[in-house]
Amino acid sequence: MAAYLDHAAATPLDPRVREAMLPFVADEFGSPSSLHDRGRRPAEALERARRQVAELVGADEEGVIFTAGAVEARNLGVKGLLRGNRRTGRHLVASAVEHPATLAACRTAARDEAELDVVPVDGEGRVGAGDLAARLRDDTALVALVHGQPDIGTVQDVPALAAAARGAGPGARIAVDAGETAGLLPVDMAAMDADALVVGGPALGAPAWAGALVVRSGARLHPLIEGGIEEGGKRAGPEALPAIAALGAAAELARAEMAGRAARMAALAERLTAGLLAVPDVRLNGPREGRIPGHVQVSAGWVEGETLALALAARGVAVSPGSACTAHGGKAAPVLEAIGLEPPWTHSAILLTLRWTTTEAEVDEAVAAFAESVASLRAMSPLAP
Amino acid sequence: MRAAPARVVDALGTWCPVPIHLIDRAARRAAPGEVIELLADDPLIEVDLPAWCHSSGNDLLELCREEGGDYVGRVAISRGGRGGGPPRGRDRGRSASG
Repeated sequence: MAAYLDHAAATPLDPRVREAMLPFVADEFGSPSSLHDRGRRPAEALERARRQVAELVGADEEGVIFTAGAVEARNLGVKGLLRGNRRTGRHLVASAVEHPATLAACRTAARDEAELDVVPVDGEGRVGAGDLAARLRDDTALVALVHGQPDIGTVQDVPALAAAARGAGPGARIAVDAGETAGLLPVDMAAMDADALVVGGPALGAPAWAGALVVRSGARLHPLIEGGIEEGGKRAGPEALPAIAALGAAAELARAEMAGRAARMAALAERLTAGLLAVPDVRLNGPREGRIPGHVQVSAGWVEGETLALALAARGVAVSPGSACTAHGGKAAPVLEAIGLEPPWTHSAILLTLRWTTTEAEVDEAVAAFAESVASLRAMSPLAP
Repeated sequence: MRAAPARVVDALGTWCPVPIHLIDRAARRAAPGEVIELLADDPLIEVDLPAWCHSSGNDLLELCREEGGDYVGRVAISRGGRGGGPPRGRDRGRSASG
């Protein structure tokens, strides 16, 4: 592969992260729940990872619940907080640009007698504090806010939105999805006034099957998976130690190296964006500033996104069509419709995500392959001018 | 006005014996004089929490049922670190089933 620009879907492990996880697929096979000596190092690793993740987001380590990736954490946050706070009410509010897992969990709750209000966004995917506050009520039990939008990369001003939500619906819990940002941008639970916060592996440089929900003390959370004491009873079943150790090590590295990584990714993303936008009839989706670092989504007019992604793959360039999360089915991404785009832009998006390990050569390779692919696909299109 | 609890143990959505495991673990980490608030929705907590307080030597300040059916128990820790110190791991010796 000449250029790998699909890091939001999966990212190669930093050797230091791999080193942290390997003992737990080798000699350290014990259960952290065991009383005998085989459980000692796994138990220590579990608690070390809990502390590392808590420190990354400025939280109490007691609040860290490890999950099998960010999607599970999103489900746990929505369903668990809604159930735990049903005394407040059954009304919930979510932005129109939440991750599909969050929206699905909200819709499931709405099907089961909750009432869902969706907050629209502007043309760059931003939620307005006034629009949010207008939808809160005394019986609002939950507000779901995505920090960094996974498709178009928009970063929300969560502290301002949380302040607006607290003022309008004082009983509501606030679930912040930092699954795409924690590790890439500074994320502080207290500053965000979050009752629960989603953390995901790829943004940290950990596997996609590693994640966590970090919960503020007293937030009132029901588990999705019941039947054990693990993770404080909020996520029963044996802990996935390799994933957890990787997430913890990656969190510590991200905390130490975030500034340097951000500077490198900003330069690479600017180079990539400029190169893609040099192709005629290509638009950047989401804002030019205030994006998730290393996150570039563009739509190429008169070219179908999935076809373009395949054409790029044939040239050795790995990207996702539309988004890393809803990469199949030929449907318009709901987020693109939410920001007011219409066909052909809604069907012609590809997502390119880079990391601090990406090289300038990869970026240049991707830009060249993009220009060639778009030109050749437009030449075959009966719709292209 | 009652003081805010030093620790909140959220056992909502868990069944016996998990709530008692959770408050026992929190008690081991607490200092004498701290107040722990337990949130639970398993009705057995009406039996289990007083029994645990009796056997552990801690003081049950109150156990009430909120509107909506959840329980709130408040326990004053009188014997912090019961059992000779905190466990090495968060949940060690509690469950190993899979």
